[in-house]
Amino acid sequence: MASISMRSLVKTYGDFTVIPGLDLEIADHEFVVLVGPSGCGKSTLLRVLAGLERINGGDLYIGDDRVNDVPAARRDIAMVFQDYALYPHMTVRQNMAFALEMRGMDKAEIETRVKRAAGLLHIEDFLDRRPKALSGGQRQRVAMGRAIVRDPRVFLFDEPLSNLDAKLRAQVRAEIKALSQQLRTTMVFVTHDQVEAMTMADRIVIMKSGIIQQVGSPEDVYERPANLFVAGFIGSPAMNVLPVTVAGDRLVLSNARSVQIASLGSKRPAALIEGATVDLGIRPEHFEVAPDDPNAIAVTVDLVEPLGSDTLIHFKLAEINAIARVSPDLRPKPGDSLSLSPVPGKIHLFERETGEVIR
Amino acid sequence: MTTASNPRSASGAISPRLQLASLSAPSVIFTVAMIAFPFGYTIWLSLQTFTATGMTRFAGADNYVRMISDEQFWNGLTITFYLYFLSLVLQLVFGTVLALLMFRAKKLPGIVRSLFISPFMMPPVVAGMMWLVILDPSLGAANYILTSFGLPPSNWLASPAFVVPTLALIDTWQWSPYVALIVLGGLQALPPSVYEAAEIDGASGWQVLWRITLPLLLPTLATATILRSVDLLRFFDLIYITTQGGPANASTTLNIYGFRMGFEFFQLGYASSLMVTLSIIVLGAVIVLNRVRNAVAW
Repeated sequence: MASISMRSLVKTYGDFTVIPGLDLEIADHEFVVLVGPSGCGKSTLLRVLAGLERINGGDLYIGDDRVNDVPAARRDIAMVFQDYALYPHMTVRQNMAFALEMRGMDKAEIETRVKRAAGLLHIEDFLDRRPKALSGGQRQRVAMGRAIVRDPRVFLFDEPLSNLDAKLRAQVRAEIKALSQQLRTTMVFVTHDQVEAMTMADRIVIMKSGIIQQVGSPEDVYERPANLFVAGFIGSPAMNVLPVTVAGDRLVLSNARSVQIASLGSKRPAALIEGATVDLGIRPEHFEVAPDDPNAIAVTVDLVEPLGSDTLIHFKLAEINAIARVSPDLRPKPGDSLSLSPVPGKIHLFERETGEVIR
Repeated sequence: MTTASNPRSASGAISPRLQLASLSAPSVIFTVAMIAFPFGYTIWLSLQTFTATGMTRFAGADNYVRMISDEQFWNGLTITFYLYFLSLVLQLVFGTVLALLMFRAKKLPGIVRSLFISPFMMPPVVAGMMWLVILDPSLGAANYILTSFGLPPSNWLASPAFVVPTLALIDTWQWSPYVALIVLGGLQALPPSVYEAAEIDGASGWQVLWRITLPLLLPTLATATILRSVDLLRFFDLIYITTQGGPANASTTLNIYGFRMGFEFFQLGYASSLMVTLSIIVLGAVIVLNRVRNAVAW
């Protein structure tokens, strides 16, 4: 078990800088998820942690050890790869035992550890099979088993669920979460799937172009996004973003000033001077149907997506596409009129220039 | 309705059966003419004996019975297997080492790589002539090098004890690069993440080689073994050019013996029975090695 500390960490490939200088502290026992779009540097960061890539600047600590120049084998970490990276010519038992054999561990101790991990992951029946005789989900478990037997200081996961089908993904996701609570080991999990990030993490690190956009609990990044990128990345469907202008104590659509989206309360941020144009963000689930509200926004339904648990309504606000998530009992048809009102306190305002949140 | 007797339907389309026949005809004709007929003819010849007038007479299994009591046949078979195993082991070892070196030296210029793999592109006659000169006991470079290091000269191809190892070395020189190419292809197809996993698991370079790389290369090595086995069991051209089976039949493989029986002693029936036997050995080896390849596939 160990904390991780990254201080001004830089990673470049030739002239191309992937991580320009990153600071991040991960506490002991913490489950941190690195999330971001493809090419944001999250997998590179994980490989740097693993010791598979050397850093070009800054410092990396695992526990109290500065590991900048420590090879992967001596970092006492275990990694679950996206393609599982099982040794295809070895049985499950041999796969799990390999790292322990490399350490020169006693055979009886290896067998005990393998059996314990296999029991934990319910793979006892597959111990003498080779990876090609296993399903994707079983291989995934073996990859985790291979990591668990080592009893490492840190677990690293590189998009381990991306090769599984949706149903299995949800199941394994829950199992990894349960395992993390059981093992109480520091875990760093990389994914581009925000649902995985939200459901598993103690803290989420959202990255873009090698730069951390926000670090926070799942509730934090969902409820209080630091900028437009985070607001758009977390949440599905994505947050609606509307350009609005301050008109007195009202926020009106910039290209249709007759449409009031919200009114400014008493806690009016200083940046919102009269006539200022900002981006207003509102999540689809933070619209409510309010036929009796005189200030509600009248919209015309373009498209209806019934999801069972709720229904997505697509509409346009002054030519800007927007989505509202409403009760499944409401069954409007395309062309119907609907009165929608933002849930008080659930709108987010962002600076147009920087995309930073206005608080 | 389309019927066999009416190949064209009312709409004028060709019946599926005729289509199948016309499409497969070229390959069927080719197979019969080029493979089945010569092989069948050889089997027929192996059951004949030639009379003084040049006519054939059915001899049944006489030629095969003769083979069992023919000392030269057993000598040929022993030399064939000796040369086969020695060459195969050397070529697999050198081919694998060469492939590993080329794989590690990724920045090796293309011209150097081409030079490494060029020997197997050389015609066997040229290679044979070249090595005849190099290994000439009195004028060749090989003995010059040996003596310049204070070592005794060797008779190489003229020595009954050395001739097979020497032929194996020449063939290894020529065909190891071919094995290396196959192994290099196998190496390049290995999943990189497995090596990263091994690195994290703490395996040293040697442990990775012995416990990961070589076991993963087994299917590739089995393929190379099959390809080389077919060639090595039929080893002919290089021997014919360099030793013609000598000295004192020390390099007379089954192939060379069959050739001499057929074209020097004109015992075509017996020569054919030798070649049928060799073909069965090659076919058996391929079947066994193919099973080995399937067994080591991952």
